[in-house]
Amino acid sequence: MSLPKMKTTEPLTAPDPPAGSWVSRLAWNFRHHPKRELWFAWWVMVIFYQLYGVLFFFVTRVQPPPSPAWDTPTVTQWFSDRHLGILAGFGVVFLITGMCAPMNALLAYSMRRMSVSRLFAYSYLIIYSLSAIPGMLVMAIAMTVAALRPDRDPELIHWLYDFAFLSFSGTMGVFMIGSLVWMVAILLDKNCVFPKWFGYLSLCNALTEVVVAPAWIFHRGAFAWNGAIAWWINMVVFVTYTGVFIVLLRKMIQREDFGAGPLPDLPDKGVADHSDAAEAVR
Amino acid sequence: MTNRAGSRPQLEEKLTKFVPGQPDMWMFVLFESLLFTGYFSVYLVSRTQNEELYLQSQAALDLRFGVFNTIALLLSSWAIARCVQASREGAYRSALINAFLTVSFGVVFLTSKVLEWVNEIQMGNTFTSDEFFQHYFFLTSIHCIHVLIGFIGLGVVVYQLWSPVRRSQQLVETGATYWHTVDFLWVLIFALLYVVR
Repeated sequence: MSLPKMKTTEPLTAPDPPAGSWVSRLAWNFRHHPKRELWFAWWVMVIFYQLYGVLFFFVTRVQPPPSPAWDTPTVTQWFSDRHLGILAGFGVVFLITGMCAPMNALLAYSMRRMSVSRLFAYSYLIIYSLSAIPGMLVMAIAMTVAALRPDRDPELIHWLYDFAFLSFSGTMGVFMIGSLVWMVAILLDKNCVFPKWFGYLSLCNALTEVVVAPAWIFHRGAFAWNGAIAWWINMVVFVTYTGVFIVLLRKMIQREDFGAGPLPDLPDKGVADHSDAAEAVR
Repeated sequence: MTNRAGSRPQLEEKLTKFVPGQPDMWMFVLFESLLFTGYFSVYLVSRTQNEELYLQSQAALDLRFGVFNTIALLLSSWAIARCVQASREGAYRSALINAFLTVSFGVVFLTSKVLEWVNEIQMGNTFTSDEFFQHYFFLTSIHCIHVLIGFIGLGVVVYQLWSPVRRSQQLVETGATYWHTVDFLWVLIFALLYVVR
């Protein structure tokens, strides 16, 4: 599939898919849509975050986090209450970890589309290739080990509990640096890939990643790993930030013209509806 | 950092008429205000649960440091406001002097803050001492990080004012808006930590 390389002023859209059933339109888009890879990565991102929320909050029920101040019998009881959920939920987590790759690639793509040096996209990609480790894998491994070895010394189970939550909440450096790289790229960019306010929101998100560091020290209060500041406020900021960038990435893909200059704006509403329909049918 | 090269200059011009600097920076002011409202609410709620401890620990703070810091930051805000005004009038030399004055007051603030921390730590009041000092060190540190980021913003302002080929009034005002936010947050932190009893 060859893509037009020249700069255009109108957003590039695929020729209209042939009329017919949604299956034939889907097949047509799958084979011919010039943005099919971008849309694929975007949908992977949407599905991943949905699954992430459902798995961590409802299936494994390891979030919102329990208290770091619990004694060993309470912790072992907590594991036995969640035994099946942890095994099933983290089993799926291990399966979907690979979804991080196209997601992070799309985020790096947004930086490659900017007028800034390629260094930003490469730095982001490298640092975010680590993100799944502190962001979910270490916790999933520790929790699964504790759930699968209930006969071990309860002190060891308690140790795994601390290890899981501290690795999850206390290691936000990767996300902080990633947010800052993205922020600087957005503020320097002249192609208007993202609005500048999103750059400033990235700064807010990066600053909240610093705030979780005291979770290593405290067992109770606002700064513990389940605290109002270290967890609840951070979670609100993170969810808002994630929601915002998913929407903005969608807009970026709609506006993408595969050129090198400023991204064109979306056409007016009436025209947009038409091109949206063509974009969305996949 | 400019966004003038974009394809939406008309919309931006319209928005710029309402607020000084990039409208986007005002979104940041909104985000930060919401975030700090969260932090302040947690502080005030924790305070109601153990008022005696908070009063006792608050008494260990030196109000003179707090007042001095507040004056230093208010002066820096006054200097950046004069910088914007001078820049609007095309008096770039005066604007530059005021920008440097802002940086100087910021440095005075930071130095005084560090001295205050050292003083508190020497008295045995550390981040882990009690709940009040957790909030005290947290709020003052996160604010200091904002001040440090503000120095980068002021660097952009100075860079813009330095050469006649740059001098984007919008960026000067955007930097000033950020600096005022830092000041505004400090006044609230000062009131909550030092004054509210």
